[in-house]
Formats: sequence, structure tokens, C-alpha cells
Amino acid sequence: MNNMTLYVKKDSPVHLVDPLTKLLFTFFSITLTYIVSNHLAVLLILLCTFTILVAGKVFKYILPVIGVSFLLILSIIIVQGFFHPDRETLLFEVGPIPIYKEGFSIAFLITLRVVNMVSAFGVLILTTKPDDLVNALLRKGLSPRFGYVLLSVLQIIPQMIALTGKITDAQRARGMETEGGLWLRFKSFIPLLGPVILNSLNETRERSIALEIRGFNAKGPRTYLHKHETYRYGLHLKILLTVIFVAVVVWRFVS
Amino acid sequence: MSVLTVTNLKYRYPAQDKSIFALNDLSFTVGKGEFIGIVGRNTAGKTTLCYALSGLVPHFFKGAYGGDVHIGVMDVLSYEISDIAAKVGLVFENPFSQMTGAKFTVYDEIAFGLENLGIPREEMHERIRASMQLLDIEGLGNKNPFSLSGGQMQRVAIASVIAMKPDILILDEPTSQLDPEGAEEVFRVVGKMAEGGMTIIMVEQKMEKLAAYADRILLMHDGKLIQDGKPAEVFSRDDLELYGVEPPMVVKVSRTLQVRNEETGLYPITQKEMPAELDIAFHVVETSGKNTNTTSEIVVRNLHFGYENGNDVIRGLNVSLQGEPIAIIGQNGAGKTTFVKLLKALLTPQRGEIVIDGVRSTDSTAAKLASRIGLIFQNPNDQIFKNKVIDEVMFGPLNIGQSPEVATENAKAMLELVGLAGKEEENPYDLSLAERKMVAMASILAMDTDIVIFDEPTMGQDYSGKSKVKEIIHSLYEQGKLVICILHDMDFVADTFGRTIIFSEGGMVFDGPTREAFAQEDALRAARVEQPHLTQLARKLGYEGIILKENELQTANMFE
Repeated sequence: MNNMTLYVKKDSPVHLVDPLTKLLFTFFSITLTYIVSNHLAVLLILLCTFTILVAGKVFKYILPVIGVSFLLILSIIIVQGFFHPDRETLLFEVGPIPIYKEGFSIAFLITLRVVNMVSAFGVLILTTKPDDLVNALLRKGLSPRFGYVLLSVLQIIPQMIALTGKITDAQRARGMETEGGLWLRFKSFIPLLGPVILNSLNETRERSIALEIRGFNAKGPRTYLHKHETYRYGLHLKILLTVIFVAVVVWRFVS
Repeated sequence: MSVLTVTNLKYRYPAQDKSIFALNDLSFTVGKGEFIGIVGRNTAGKTTLCYALSGLVPHFFKGAYGGDVHIGVMDVLSYEISDIAAKVGLVFENPFSQMTGAKFTVYDEIAFGLENLGIPREEMHERIRASMQLLDIEGLGNKNPFSLSGGQMQRVAIASVIAMKPDILILDEPTSQLDPEGAEEVFRVVGKMAEGGMTIIMVEQKMEKLAAYADRILLMHDGKLIQDGKPAEVFSRDDLELYGVEPPMVVKVSRTLQVRNEETGLYPITQKEMPAELDIAFHVVETSGKNTNTTSEIVVRNLHFGYENGNDVIRGLNVSLQGEPIAIIGQNGAGKTTFVKLLKALLTPQRGEIVIDGVRSTDSTAAKLASRIGLIFQNPNDQIFKNKVIDEVMFGPLNIGQSPEVATENAKAMLELVGLAGKEEENPYDLSLAERKMVAMASILAMDTDIVIFDEPTMGQDYSGKSKVKEIIHSLYEQGKLVICILHDMDFVADTFGRTIIFSEGGMVFDGPTREAFAQEDALRAARVEQPHLTQLARKLGYEGIILKENELQTANMFE
């Protein structure tokens, strides 16, 4: 049965790391790729992120997501490669469009950054239970309301998939052809989007009633069912990450 | 000391006409530990009353509000919902939308409200365990709430609310999505809570159950309180049907037989109160097989299907479906819905075949079969996806090639048939669940298919809704269509269907005339369904056979 999360349950050292440390990693990893503009450095950071994904046994789950973002990447390469103002050296041509080296180089850098961003988020989301993440943030003083929104966002993709299945059934049952070639499937996908979004919005109203009557907006102090398990190396890892981050920033601005 | 006092309560929804009050001048009090039943037709304002008692009106739903609701000494108007939530628990109809979505196991889900209230951890574990035990869901603790069946989810919802230990528990048609056994379980638990001192307020369509459990009944109509009295008093009214309430079977029979309690002059409302030494004649009216219209034919051979490997939901079915309307009964999870989805080719059999008028279902697609078989889903929310009622109903007809003119005409006729004329331009989501079910029904009927399959059509319907469904089923058969219907309402089965199939654990344990079906005590027990109330009553009155309809009881030699 569908678990309604992107979280992949595996037994790995990465899964054991506490959510906040992983959040910190995600933040640093993404920021660093934008602070340094050296291809090699960004590539190194990406390799680091990949290594962590592999250690977390979730590498193969990130591939489809990278695949989806490829469309974006492709357009970046074409636009940057063709339009970049410093175009001088012709690298190759895609049909009638000439791609210049300078632009391509920048496009390549952006590509690395995008892939790293997706993968870094992957480290956080694929190896952390969403409620653990949100609970960790609540304990740090995040408002429950915002925590719930965050949780809903983390669940929205699996929920959409489940809902899409239901509505497809409803449409097939009433004579809309959804089986067959790729084009037919694509064509039948578009009219699905409206109802899927509409349906989830409508469900929201009933759900917010359910939350209200369970005292969601209570002003008093909250308690937590699960004890907060402190990860033994959490502090060490956080310090290590911060040191690396500061070191890179210093190196970037000194050199 | 009353735990709840309502004085001159008036309320109007923001979008409503100035003259229409959802609640119109209600006054009543409820004492500690009382079990109050609220009855009335679907538009009576029962749900709105539940909202008003739990503070959702006026804090969540704004609008014009007058009068006063006191919970103990707490004035609902001046407290916030979260404060009220600690005193009043609310369980509503749709189990799915009561899951918070913030938790990933049943155990944590139940904890959600407790965490918000700031209950200490040790006590939380205790309360969760106790309420899970009470609702008999101890085995589900580690499951994801969304992976459960409707009945299980509803029990989780009740457990979550009970764990918060409210003084008052309000339940708005909590059993409409459950099978008879699941419904009985809910009533048992709720009855136990009432004995333990919790005040219960319950909106229900199952009058037999209210008659057995409630201390008092509030009869509502158009936002007004018509009567506040003992169950026997309210159910003895001769104009109940006018308010969309079908009295318990015992009362209906007593009415025909003119059996009254000698002291009070009221009708008996439960089988226990029925005097056993009545002199009644029974005569069986055989309707089955009389009308032999030819319909389409579905032949099922050695059908196997499972959602997971090695875990079959349907295990080797063989059946031929044609002729008079057929009822399929059995407990939740017996595979009934899976079976009809297979018939409709929404699922593909793993083994065996389904042949519809000589064509194998696997040689076709669900979409191609759409013009032949119509399937009305149990949950209308799984089926409805347009913004306007009329567009929703026209979607199918247009897809199977009706011209826009014909489709519009068909759609209007069908909306008329299900009693929704005049609501064409409304958004289906602004309608009540019962009305949405009717929209879903109209949208399938408008396709004019040879075979019509209903999945739980009477769920959540009031008296007039049920009568309408019955009429529709009869008229479809008159038109020569094959009607197959999954049902939990045994009274409805007895009254409407000539042939009944009993499902249990993915197989058929009986297939034959309804009268014989309800004589199969072993099969019924295996499928966890009860005999119709009338059948049970006739037994009680000394008739050995199976009585299915009211006109089979005779009053002639009653009078001395």
C-alpha cells in the first residue's frame, strides 16, 4: 500500500543522522555550489552529495527526479549556449542553432548546480521521515501551523499520484480512453490536472475541520509522543559541516 | 446538572439566503451520560447542529449567529475551538478526511490531539492503548492510517477523539460507511461510553439502532426542533415519513397491526418490547421470477484476482449474471467492490475470464466498455471531478458519442429522476454527501448503459433517498437492463431484490432467491450479515419461514 511519503525506509548510516544535521547539510551543499563558480569544485560537491545518497542506499530513487529536471537543464544549455553575450568560440551546432563555448561552460555549471540541488534535497527527504523532520523543527520553535504546511508539501506528490489513479479510474469508467500509446496517455493527462488540484483543495476544507477539533490551534504548551532521540554524532557533524562551509567561503573570498 | 444547554440557537451560513436559517430557534438541554439521537431528513440541519455544539459554528463557519450554547459553564461563543475541543469530541461521516495527514501510523495519529492538548507522555501512551483496545484496533497501531479500509479508518477516528476524553462525544452519521457488523460495533462502543458517563449526541439514519440505544430523540426539520422526546414517543408519530424518517421496522409492523403499549398508547420500538403472543397470519408473496425480462448477460469463469502476489482477494468465482436485479451482500473487505471493478475492466483478472454478451472483457478496455456497463462508485468523491453538476453528468454521455443536445437532455432528465432538478449549475462540492451520491448516480444513468452496477447506493441516504433508489432500480429492470447492486442494508435487499449473492472472503457462499439467501444461517454468519429486521421480527412472532416484505404480514384475524 502507498505510504504517502517520498521517504524510503532503508537501514543505513545516513538514515540514522538527525534531521537537523541533514537539513544543515542540504543548505550548505546548495549554497556552496553558488558561492564557488569553479566547475571542478562544484563537481566535487556534487560527487560528495552522490556519495551520501549511495551510502544512504537511495541513489536510484533520485535518478527519476534528475530525469524530470533534465528538460529544464536542456533548455538552459540551449539558451545559454546560444545567447550568452561573450559568444566567441563555436563549440558545436544543434541543428541550425550554434552553441558557443562560453555560454556552454556557464550552462554546464548551472546544470551541475541544479543536479546538486535536487540530490541534496534527496538526501534530506529520501532518508528522513517527514514527521521526524517536522517534529525536530517544532522543537526548535517552528509554529505548528507552518510545520503542518511543510508536512503537507512533503506529502503532496504521493497524494497527487494516488488521487490521479482514482480520477483516471472514474474517467475510464465513463468512456474516456486512457490506455494506449504515449500520445493518447499524454492527451488524457491534461484534463486530469484540473480535477486533481480541485479535489485536493476541497479535501483541505474537511481536513482543516478535523484538525481544529483535535485542538490543533491550542495555545498551551504541546507535548510529544516520542522521546527526542539525540543522534550521538549530531553535534560533531554539525560542527564539521560548519567548518567546511566557513573554510570554503574564506577560500573563495581570499583567493 | 446539565452538561449542555442550548437556548434559542439561530444560525445562517454566510452564503445563504437571508430568509433561510440552517438552525432556527433551537432550545434543549442534555444531562450527563445521556445518549441523544438526532433524526430528520438530509436537509434538516443535523450536521450544522453538530458543528454548533462543537464550536465550529460560529468560529470556523462564520455567518449570522444568535442565541446561546453552553457546554457546562463554558459559553461556546466566547471560547476558542481548541478549548472546546478538550470538552467536546466530534466524529463525522467521511473517515478519510478525519485523518490528519500529519502522522504516519495509527498510533501516532491517535496521539495528535493529545500532543496538542499537552498531555504528559506516559498518560498519552496509556490513553492511546486504552482507546485502541476499546475500538478493537490494537492490531493496526503500526499501519499507515491511509492504508486502512473505511470501517477501520472510522474506528481510528473515534479512537482519536475518545482518547482526548471529552465530556460530550458528538457523532455525525458515523456508521454510514460501515458494514452491519462494523456499525453494530460502533454502537456497542458508544453505548459503553455513555454508561461510563460520557454524554453522547448522535446523528443517525439507522433508526433500529437509535431505538435500541438512545435515551432521547430530537426530531429536526428545516432547522427547527419538531420534537424532543423519548424514542417511543418520537417513533410513534404517524407523520414521521413526512420528515424523511423511516421508523424502525417494529414500529412499522405495529402500526399495521395496531399493536400499542397498553399504558402509554405508544408503539413498541424494539423487538424485545413486542408482545410475543400475537395472532398474526403470514403469507409469502412470491415476486421472484415473475417478471422475466431478458437482459444482458455476464458470465464469470474461474475468476482470480489479488492486489498483492499470493494474496488473492477474489478466489475462483463462477457465476452467471442476468435477468432480475441482483444484490451482492457480505462484510467489508469480502471482495465485493473488487469484483465489480473486475466486471467493469478497471482491474484485469489474473486468471479466469469475464464474458459480457459473448465478448471477453480482456479483449476490450474500460473506456470501450463504458457504453455497455455503468458503475456507480461507493464514494462519490472518487467519481466526481467537474465544477458544475450538469458538466459532471454530461461527461460520460459526451464521451460515448451522444451529441451535446441529446446529452444535455439526458442529463437534465436524470437529474430530475434523482431529485436534483434545479441544481444543474451548482458545484458538486457544495452539495451534501447524499446529494453528491445522487449526482454520481445521474452521471452514470445518463449514459444509458445495458448493465448498471451500484456500489452501496443507499449509503447515507434518508428515507426519501432510499425510496428513490428503489424506484430507479425497478425502472431500470423494466427497461430491460441488468442491475447489480452491492448493499449493506439488508432491509433494502429484502424489499427490492429477487436474487441475492452472499460474498465471503473472496468467494460466493450462496447464490439464489433472496428468500432462500436469508434462510442460510451459516452462510450469513460466515459473511457476517444479519437477517433483515422484518425477518427477525417474524421469527420472534413465531413464524418459521422467511418474511421479506411488510405486506406479507396480515392483520385480518387480529381483532377480537
